[in-house]
Amino acid sequence: MELFEAIKNRRSIRVYTADPVDDAKIEAILEAGRWAPSWANTQCWRFIVVRDPEVKARVADTLFKVVLPDKVIENRATAIINSAPVLIVVCAVTGVSGGKLGGGEFEFLTDKGDWFMFDTALAVQNMVLAAHGLGLGTVIIGTADAPRVEKVLGVPEGNRVVAMFPVGVPAREGKVPPRKELSEIVFKDRWGG
Amino acid sequence: MDVLDAIMGRRSIRRYKSNPVDDAKIKTVLEAAHWAPSWGNKQCWRFIVVRDQETRSKIADTLMKIRVENELVENAAARGIRQAPVLIVVCAEKGQAGFRSDGTPVTDKGDVWYMFDVALAVENLALAAHSVGLGTVIVGGFDTTRVEEILGVPDGYRVVTMTPLGVPDHAGQVSPRKDLAEVTYHEKFGR
Repeated sequence: MELFEAIKNRRSIRVYTADPVDDAKIEAILEAGRWAPSWANTQCWRFIVVRDPEVKARVADTLFKVVLPDKVIENRATAIINSAPVLIVVCAVTGVSGGKLGGGEFEFLTDKGDWFMFDTALAVQNMVLAAHGLGLGTVIIGTADAPRVEKVLGVPEGNRVVAMFPVGVPAREGKVPPRKELSEIVFKDRWGG
Repeated sequence: MDVLDAIMGRRSIRRYKSNPVDDAKIKTVLEAAHWAPSWGNKQCWRFIVVRDQETRSKIADTLMKIRVENELVENAAARGIRQAPVLIVVCAEKGQAGFRSDGTPVTDKGDVWYMFDVALAVENLALAAHSVGLGTVIVGGFDTTRVEEILGVPDGYRVVTMTPLGVPDHAGQVSPRKDLAEVTYHEKFGR
């Protein structure tokens, strides 16, 4: 698929068919993630491919419930994860991205500290584009109780769960969320310019 | 360009030709960035397109030096920022990505989901630039506060990252990647 078509037509998919997704396609998606750039090529990302419905359900159960004035309801992403054949959980090795350049003892270089959120997202964007190019849908989910996910998946200390996305055949087209006008978000030469 | 070819073929470019880059191409790459998904569709990203040479040079001066054998040398990206005709500085609105409507953070990551969302957009930008024949290098190692002063970024927003945008003057090297098996597990971490 042509790049701009992939970028413009990718949608967050919240309903999946029961069709299976083969390992070759999952590997192609992960391969796209692996080719993302990263801070000093530190590649802090780690991907856990979850197919086991029971494991998937336990991860889906960690999503934060939605508190309404009169009741607490399940996060709709929980059912979305359970309906897709594959869930990719994106983890990060902490304390490697954002470090001082040129070696020596590890020390964060900038006021942002650890850049693991940034680097994993570069890889995630590649993966959701690649999935779309293969005819598969995804939706990036961040509203999980990450420490609980880490327990479910045995993620050791020094690593963190960042985000996750189901992969499956879209059951219907996603909708286009409205975007701000480019003039609202782009300035020239200085802020507000 | 095919999406997978763009993903595999993009390289970090640190030397640029002086060829101009027209506004239409800049708009193309910014639109690609803007099509990224974001937390609750908050679109917390903001882009400052810097063409002014003096401003670019001042910003290049804020990049942290790199220690090479006990000597501090300029980051090659600083030269790239001076050479390329355009610098895109990417900012984020704070308190949007990862926050509930009452202003409290949703997850254990607190307020840093803006780093995640900005990066989703930056990756689109880098891929789009590559497919229209332009190079980028994502730069994070600079004095944020000074850049915010230079560009007049107001409270409530942060400068996150920047990239020069220009015609590559070299092919870019392939940074060796870990094997997929080293970064991929099944059902459980480490398996």
